[in-house]
Amino acid sequence: MAKIKKKGQSGQAKNYITRTQAVKKLQISLPDFRKLCIWKGIYPREPRSRKKVSKSATASTTFYYTKDIQYLQHEPLLQKFREQKVLEKKISRALGRGDVSDAARLERNAGRPDQTGKPRYTLHHVIRERYPTFIDAIRDLDDCLSMLFLFANLPSTTSVPAKMIARCERLCHEFQHYLITSHSLRKSFLSIKGIYYQANIQGEDVLWLVPYKFNQRVVGDIDFRIMGTFVEFYMTLLGFVNYRLYSSIGLKYPPKFDQTKDDKGAELAALTLEGVNLATNDETTKAIASGEGHGPDPKVQAGVDKLVKKLRTESDGDKADEEMAEGEDEEEKATDAIDKFEPAAPGGDVLPQPTYTGNDPSKLFANCTFFLSRETPRQSLEFILRAFGCKRIGWDPILGEGSFTTDESDPSITHQIVDRPIIQAATTEQGDGEDNQTAQKLGPNQRYPGRIYVQPQWVWDCVNDEELKGPELYAPGAALPPHLSPFVKPTQGQYDPTVPLEEQETEGEALDAEIEDAKDEAESEEEDSEVDNDMDVADDNDDDEEDSDAEEDEEEEDDEEEDEDEEEVLLRQRELEAEISGKTVKSKQVDPKLKAKLDKKKALERKKKEEAEDLERAKGMLSKKKRKLFEQMQYTNKKKSTEDMKLRSKRRKLEKEKAAGKA
Amino acid sequence: MKSKPVEKKRKARDEESDSESDDELGNGLFDGVLEASEDEEDYIPSDEIDDGDSESEASEGSEDTEEEDDDALLSDDIPSDVEGDDEMGKLSKGAEELEITEPGVDPKPKHQEEEHRNYRIEKDANGGERYIYDEIDPVYDSDDSDAQGPVNTIGDIPLSFYDSYPHIGYDINGKKIMRPATGDALQSLLDTIEVPKGWTGLTDVNTGNPLNLTQEELELVRRVQHGLVPDEGYDPYPDTVEWFTSKQETMPLSAAPEPKRRFLPSKNEAKQVMKLVRAIREGRILPYKPPEEREREEEEKEEVQFDLWQDEEPAAPNPMHIPAPKLPPPGYEMSYNPPEEYLPTKEEREEWEKTDPEDREKEFLPQKYNSLRKVPAWGTLVKERFERCMDLYLAPRVRKNRLNIDPNSLLPKLPSPAELKPFPTVVQTIFRGHEGTVRSVAIDPVSFPCSNICMTNADHQQTGVALATGGSDGTVRVWELLTGRQVWSVRLSSEDPVYAVRWRPTKDAFILAASAGEDVFLMVPTHSSVTPTLDQASRDVLAAGFGYATNGQQPAAAPGKEPAGKWARPGTKLEDAGVLVRVTVRSAVKVITWHRRGDHFATVSPEGQRSSVAIHTLSKHLTQIPFRKLHGLAQTVVFHPLKPLFFVATMRTVRCYDLQKVELVKIVQPGAKWISSLDIHSGGDHLIVGSYDRRLLWHDLDLSNRPHKTMRFHPKAIRAVRYHKGGLPLFADTSDDGTLQIFYGKVPNDQLESPTIVPVKQLKGHKVVNQVGVVDIDWHPREPWCVSAGADGTARLWM
Repeated sequence: MAKIKKKGQSGQAKNYITRTQAVKKLQISLPDFRKLCIWKGIYPREPRSRKKVSKSATASTTFYYTKDIQYLQHEPLLQKFREQKVLEKKISRALGRGDVSDAARLERNAGRPDQTGKPRYTLHHVIRERYPTFIDAIRDLDDCLSMLFLFANLPSTTSVPAKMIARCERLCHEFQHYLITSHSLRKSFLSIKGIYYQANIQGEDVLWLVPYKFNQRVVGDIDFRIMGTFVEFYMTLLGFVNYRLYSSIGLKYPPKFDQTKDDKGAELAALTLEGVNLATNDETTKAIASGEGHGPDPKVQAGVDKLVKKLRTESDGDKADEEMAEGEDEEEKATDAIDKFEPAAPGGDVLPQPTYTGNDPSKLFANCTFFLSRETPRQSLEFILRAFGCKRIGWDPILGEGSFTTDESDPSITHQIVDRPIIQAATTEQGDGEDNQTAQKLGPNQRYPGRIYVQPQWVWDCVNDEELKGPELYAPGAALPPHLSPFVKPTQGQYDPTVPLEEQETEGEALDAEIEDAKDEAESEEEDSEVDNDMDVADDNDDDEEDSDAEEDEEEEDDEEEDEDEEEVLLRQRELEAEISGKTVKSKQVDPKLKAKLDKKKALERKKKEEAEDLERAKGMLSKKKRKLFEQMQYTNKKKSTEDMKLRSKRRKLEKEKAAGKA
Repeated sequence: MKSKPVEKKRKARDEESDSESDDELGNGLFDGVLEASEDEEDYIPSDEIDDGDSESEASEGSEDTEEEDDDALLSDDIPSDVEGDDEMGKLSKGAEELEITEPGVDPKPKHQEEEHRNYRIEKDANGGERYIYDEIDPVYDSDDSDAQGPVNTIGDIPLSFYDSYPHIGYDINGKKIMRPATGDALQSLLDTIEVPKGWTGLTDVNTGNPLNLTQEELELVRRVQHGLVPDEGYDPYPDTVEWFTSKQETMPLSAAPEPKRRFLPSKNEAKQVMKLVRAIREGRILPYKPPEEREREEEEKEEVQFDLWQDEEPAAPNPMHIPAPKLPPPGYEMSYNPPEEYLPTKEEREEWEKTDPEDREKEFLPQKYNSLRKVPAWGTLVKERFERCMDLYLAPRVRKNRLNIDPNSLLPKLPSPAELKPFPTVVQTIFRGHEGTVRSVAIDPVSFPCSNICMTNADHQQTGVALATGGSDGTVRVWELLTGRQVWSVRLSSEDPVYAVRWRPTKDAFILAASAGEDVFLMVPTHSSVTPTLDQASRDVLAAGFGYATNGQQPAAAPGKEPAGKWARPGTKLEDAGVLVRVTVRSAVKVITWHRRGDHFATVSPEGQRSSVAIHTLSKHLTQIPFRKLHGLAQTVVFHPLKPLFFVATMRTVRCYDLQKVELVKIVQPGAKWISSLDIHSGGDHLIVGSYDRRLLWHDLDLSNRPHKTMRFHPKAIRAVRYHKGGLPLFADTSDDGTLQIFYGKVPNDQLESPTIVPVKQLKGHKVVNQVGVVDIDWHPREPWCVSAGADGTARLWM
């Protein structure tokens, strides 16, 4: 006889391990285990059968793969945790003895990342392990960016040290600078939660959310220790990603940080990008200079260049660098572009090639000079405009430093972004009402000529449509067109607000709508003629049919015949009644159109019923498993379609209202 | 100083008691114990002070004899020689003088003291005074001055407690110690003017007398206060006396030469130094910096960045790793300015607000803001982020295969409705006549010359014009199929119902088999279309066996054992009606099945134990029982249409036997609880099984022993199933719910394809009587028509 297998010794029971067991095995505390899991990206698993896996009577909630935990056992961080634990013990022992100076000395050695934001350990080996290639890291950047941008906007508290926030902010700005220089931002969306951005970095789409610049409310029970652990990891990750990204476009990392500028609220402008080495720097500046001046004599040009370089020291160094970087980019593009293959001789197959779209994202706003009014969100606008090629952005001085100009009356400004309503009261046209805060000598409704005034949404819509849109719809104070998400991909049969209603509604809906319309018309006519006639006939018929949904074919046919008969009878009766009362039955007979439509609808319904019957029959032939699956799919589809239907009906109503309003 | 006399007195008393105790107890131990116990009490310090006083007073008194001071101190209590006596005398005098100077001292006790002196004065030889002291009792503490009794026994309580009393405490004997008289005002005035020597202004706590200290005592106090050594003459830091080093030793202690190591640099030290040097070089030891500076430097130090993916190599993805799903991108409804149709109506908003936050389908309501500046911060953003974090590290990830396919593609590809036709849809003829249930129906397969039915084509053979039915009333009737006219009838039995009627499937004869009770009758019914030649041929077929039997070629049954079947003529009455042969088996026959050649037929009598299945050979009038033992109750049997195979359905399984090799070929397990009926497709590879537990099962014999399709469309038991045998892809079943269901069942020519089965029609019409609905069904051999037998006494033709 074969050896009797013991329960819980092999198979699933061995593959899984509960959290308590894992913690015991690793000999660390639960918070340390949590940290380790977060950093190493280890998550619980759902066993196929909980009963087989759990050895105890009480139901365990969390299971991990045993292999995962074994893999954690070799983690160097574990040693760090243990050292920390030992240190904590020493401190507590010293305190217990009343040995304060000793405790203080030990305390100095204990790096407390949750308080100082500066750990004693490094996480780069974990990052390398989790993301063996750079692309893997880019793929997982969504959560990282959302988290860091959120933390960059959080107020510092005891649980979130100010240093951590400063570092988050710094990393985010560095990343934004990369996007600006490489022009890899693709789409952006103003949602109620914040601003979504989508960038394409080395072929990977990265989507993240940046909250609006307000103080974030911390509600509910939020464990900032967990968030802190994530942020610690993400900070390291983004640091290395930034390094790689910067070096990929030939920039030095970390960029120079100007504390004084940052204190004045320069934000993005507080960082100064630099080329990797001096040689390239010279080259690029040369390139810029040649692009600017078309100098005939290279020697003279070089001298001039040097002078120019000396002259502009820090003030617009960053700009120059940006330009330089861009110059580099252009050069690269010239070499990287796909050559067009033209068939040399007839007879060969035509192979499709990807083509560049006509709109280069780096040139969208290249020829514009923007001025941001003080009520607009400067940070997001600056970022998005710069990322789409705008070089000159000015803003009101209270929005912070780093602007191209703070003078609203600068004649080079082509676009001004305004987000304030037109003041109705101050229509004196004399420019009497002076604005003390901005110190600009312009009336509330006055405008500089030769300048386009738009609302901020214009920028986003331009970016998403990859073209400069007409500013008429976005004029200040105007009711804006709806702002649509660029991330929704239209699927067949789903409601799409951009497509006119007629193209997407189903036949039945359209008919319903027409019938409604016709009825309304008829009603209005009736009201005119003041003939008190019963219009519910059609409805009644509908109801009847709906009731008798589940009937057999022949019976149905009979039904219809009966229906027709009934109608005729009713008509006759009405005629008779009319004769008696001395009125005409005109109103009923007048709308043959309506009747035709009703007939059509009826036919449609009949068809639908037949289809349903066929479906029922076909379903009968499926196996039970497949039938369940089918029904579930149908359920979800139906839910979606009802939602879409609701949206369509709402829109129809709105359109009707609008039409009525116009009329 | 009031203590003094009392003390002396007490001492005297002690001595008295000592002597007494000597007498009584014989030793002074007890006394010593007593004294020790007294010692423990609190007045010792006052004693000492008193002693000091007396000493100092004594020394004061003998100012001229400074050198003898030490001696005097030593011989305080026990002066043993003359000098000591003198001293003592002086001392006592001095004491007296002192006491006199003291204010308010009662002089009385002094006289008492004199009376109780512890020495006697005698005249010595010279005539001088000689003090002879009492023998000292050498017990423990006998010379202990500490043991002198306290003056006041009130203990360590403030004297103020006695302020209102004339006394200030009690002595050792319990006598009141009266308050020393305080001087009157003049005296006190005098005191203030003339400060007495040693006056401190303090009051002795114990006695209430003013506390006076001598100059020496004051000096002592001062020295103690200043932290000096109390003894004035003591020098704590005497000069060292260099006893040994002051002299140069001329001779060395050891003659050994100086070792070499004294002149070599230490290797160990060099090692230590190198260790430090290395540490410094490696930067492990840093020059000291104040901690603040070091902290600042650490803060300034940037995180080291480098190209982490310099030598990246794509690793194969771990199959067990499931990357976290990304959050879905925002849709239209998330816009700050969405199209208006996305905004919720009032009802929707209310409903959303009413539901619990956990139950909400969407976690937010779309909102519209006219301009960007009006958009507020999203309240739960931090919480949402936190929840995402929790999901990332706490949520178990499972790979779910989401079928992103059109659900309609799951549906089987059905033939178009036009292709399914023809199938029976309506009742054409109702055959009434039977009393009680019609048990069985069969349409004749015999082809008739198209004489009276089809006039157009003489060659055309018309089949299926005659319908035979058997009923509970024991009759077999033959009907004109299309018209429903009864053409022939015979009563086989008065009490047993006719369970089965089946036509012989060949076209050369017109023979019907029917069972009633234990008998199986073979008959040739008269029918209008039966030509005399056909009739004769039929009769010949039936009669052939009799000759065979009489020839004696039939193997005789074992003696004493009942034969499996008795072949006989049924009697003249029946013979006249056309019933020509009767076969009697052991128990009631329920099912008859013909072999396709028409020479054999099998009967099943479920109650018949081992002989329940019998195979009869018509040409030989022979009955055989093929199975010695059967597993379960035999329900029905069927011959394979092409091969010599024989299917026997028991309650649970269908067994397939090879009749030539006489062996079991296969066991088909439909999974039904109680099989009611069985039929085989004309191709021979497919089987349908009906069961009393409401299932209709299609078996593909090549594929599996398990059903290929299970159809459960009947709410009641299935009674009969039947394939169309004439080339149409149809089959039907009948049920106790009174309906027939017609299925389209196309068996493809290709072996690999699975058959297409489509439910086509439900035929309702039969009434349910005693919970029995439709009992039997038979298809027309060529047309898509079928006849059903119902419990309501009718048979119906559906076309």
